[in-house]
Amino acid sequence: MDTPLVVLIVLTSVAVTSPLYEMVFGKKSLKYVQYLTTLSLLVSLILLISSTLSLTPQESTVPHLLRNDTLGSFFSLMVILVTLFVSITSFDYMKGNSNERIYYSLLLFTAIGMTMLSFAVDLLVMFVAWELMSLPTFILAGYNKQDKLSNEAAVKFFILGALSSGILLYGISIMFGITGSTNLDVISQSLTSLSPDMLPFVIFSTISILAGLGLKLSIVPFHMWIPDTYEGSPTTVSALLSAATKKAGFAAAIRIFVVIFPLFYFDLSLALSIVALVTMTLGNLAALTQKSITRMLAYSSIAQAGYLLIGIVVLPYTDLGLTGLLYHSFNHAILQASAFLAVALVRLKTSSSSLDSYNGLSKIMPITSFCLALSLLGLAGIPPLNGFWSKLILFAAAVDGGYTWLALAGLVNSAISVAYYLLVIKRMYMDETSIKAIKEPFMFISILVFASAIIIVTGLLPNVIYDIAEDITISFLANNPV
Amino acid sequence: MTDVVFLVVSLLTVFFAILALESRELVYGAVALSLSFLGAAALFILLDSIFIAIFQVLVYVGSIAILIVFVIMLVRRDKWANVTGGNERILGIIAAVLLFSTITYFSLSSSLTSQYPNPTAISNFYEIGSQLINDYWLILQLTGLALAVSIIGALTMAKFENR
Repeated sequence: MDTPLVVLIVLTSVAVTSPLYEMVFGKKSLKYVQYLTTLSLLVSLILLISSTLSLTPQESTVPHLLRNDTLGSFFSLMVILVTLFVSITSFDYMKGNSNERIYYSLLLFTAIGMTMLSFAVDLLVMFVAWELMSLPTFILAGYNKQDKLSNEAAVKFFILGALSSGILLYGISIMFGITGSTNLDVISQSLTSLSPDMLPFVIFSTISILAGLGLKLSIVPFHMWIPDTYEGSPTTVSALLSAATKKAGFAAAIRIFVVIFPLFYFDLSLALSIVALVTMTLGNLAALTQKSITRMLAYSSIAQAGYLLIGIVVLPYTDLGLTGLLYHSFNHAILQASAFLAVALVRLKTSSSSLDSYNGLSKIMPITSFCLALSLLGLAGIPPLNGFWSKLILFAAAVDGGYTWLALAGLVNSAISVAYYLLVIKRMYMDETSIKAIKEPFMFISILVFASAIIIVTGLLPNVIYDIAEDITISFLANNPV
Repeated sequence: MTDVVFLVVSLLTVFFAILALESRELVYGAVALSLSFLGAAALFILLDSIFIAIFQVLVYVGSIAILIVFVIMLVRRDKWANVTGGNERILGIIAAVLLFSTITYFSLSSSLTSQYPNPTAISNFYEIGSQLINDYWLILQLTGLALAVSIIGALTMAKFENR
């Protein structure tokens, strides 16, 4: 079955029509929009899970534009799962917003963009999917129109996003100029027979594409918007940005770099390893000094992008790199979504995201505190939670690929990160508060508990996701030798 | 002859582009921008890409420039007219010069010689339409969705809310 196109049709049919229901059904339409959004995401999720588990690339109706392989299914599965979490928790979080129906439509449009980006093997499809993924998030970031911080978040994000799309398109056009095609397979063939004096253009195009993608991947030096945007936008949207759009960007980066690496893998690996080092170090050090938990999580998200980048650095040297990248992407998506959504719930109930409002939280919101603590421990990489295993694989891949210093840097960084994660947990469980207990909404809590269950189960049974990631790596690299 | 035309058109395009950025009066800036777009259209004609040239004129000169003029007319504020720059200006100039010299160096040191494309490559409108529908229909669809999102988003953002 042609999974990407079926998912496209399922999601589009709801996304396009749902803003119109209000005219037909009146006030009841909100419920319909919410149910249909959830249903379409659930259907897509089931399709993607079955296509990921089938472990073989399947037919595609448009083979020159989309490749219906397990790598794409795996990344789509992640982003759709996160979108599902975000949309269900938004039932409570966005309640009372006057544009609530459109919110779900925009979420679905982002999901469509991310799904297409994960499957795309043509630079033009990638660019259009990139835009389709970005445009709704600009609006979602500024969804609280009366809130100055939300406005600032949206404006910053929009200007830098438009700039990065421009740079990305510039890189793509140069690549098209050199190779005469936008299809990655054709590009890969043309590049092998390229005359050496054209190499500077390939480097220039690679840098442009990396800079364009880098904004969403949240790597230094393209990270400036992240703390402000994550803090200002509705926190559920921050969860989407951090856990989903970033992963879709990594899917595109993997497909592009597999093609470009054979040309000059040594220099590119070295350059990327330095970027990875700076990204994780800056993210972790900046996170230490934050007073607001959303900013702290934003910097932690930057640091995690640094760990993920290790997978791309060692891509030409060892298969373990891609396996680790896939594995950590999945774990990070769940952990980061769970952490941001727990923060969203606290923000909804206490209208504050400063660290001080987390003092004694375990006494007033016990389930939320537990889920938040669990996801923070997972992000820090404490065994036996899932974050530990995937970091282990990534660092092992770095050693295996000859970048031992990068693995050591990663270990030191993980140690630093434990400090600020534990500080939040200490505030929640050791400190006192004078606020009375708060009722935690059922739907919100069930999503948090479900995410926590995934964190614990995939932590106790690390083989489940690891085996899938390994199989995907083998079948992907068999078709795209580096 | 073509070289002279190319040189004149590119110089004019760059001149108007700079004018569009630097002009103190926003209306002049908008007019300079549309002239710069026209220059780009002329460059496309020199490259035998008639189709793109037509669209450049229709979309950029025709609608976008007019839209900018309308926006300036409707939301004019005096305080926006005076934009003072600091060090960003110098940084911007340095970045632009660096980028330009890098690309020039790459181009001159590469084996690129021909400035003009193969004359048979004059765009065939029928062929473009056929490829767009048969081979690249997915891109067309996704672009349509992106436009739909833009409209939905713009309406949401612009909607007046009484609170």
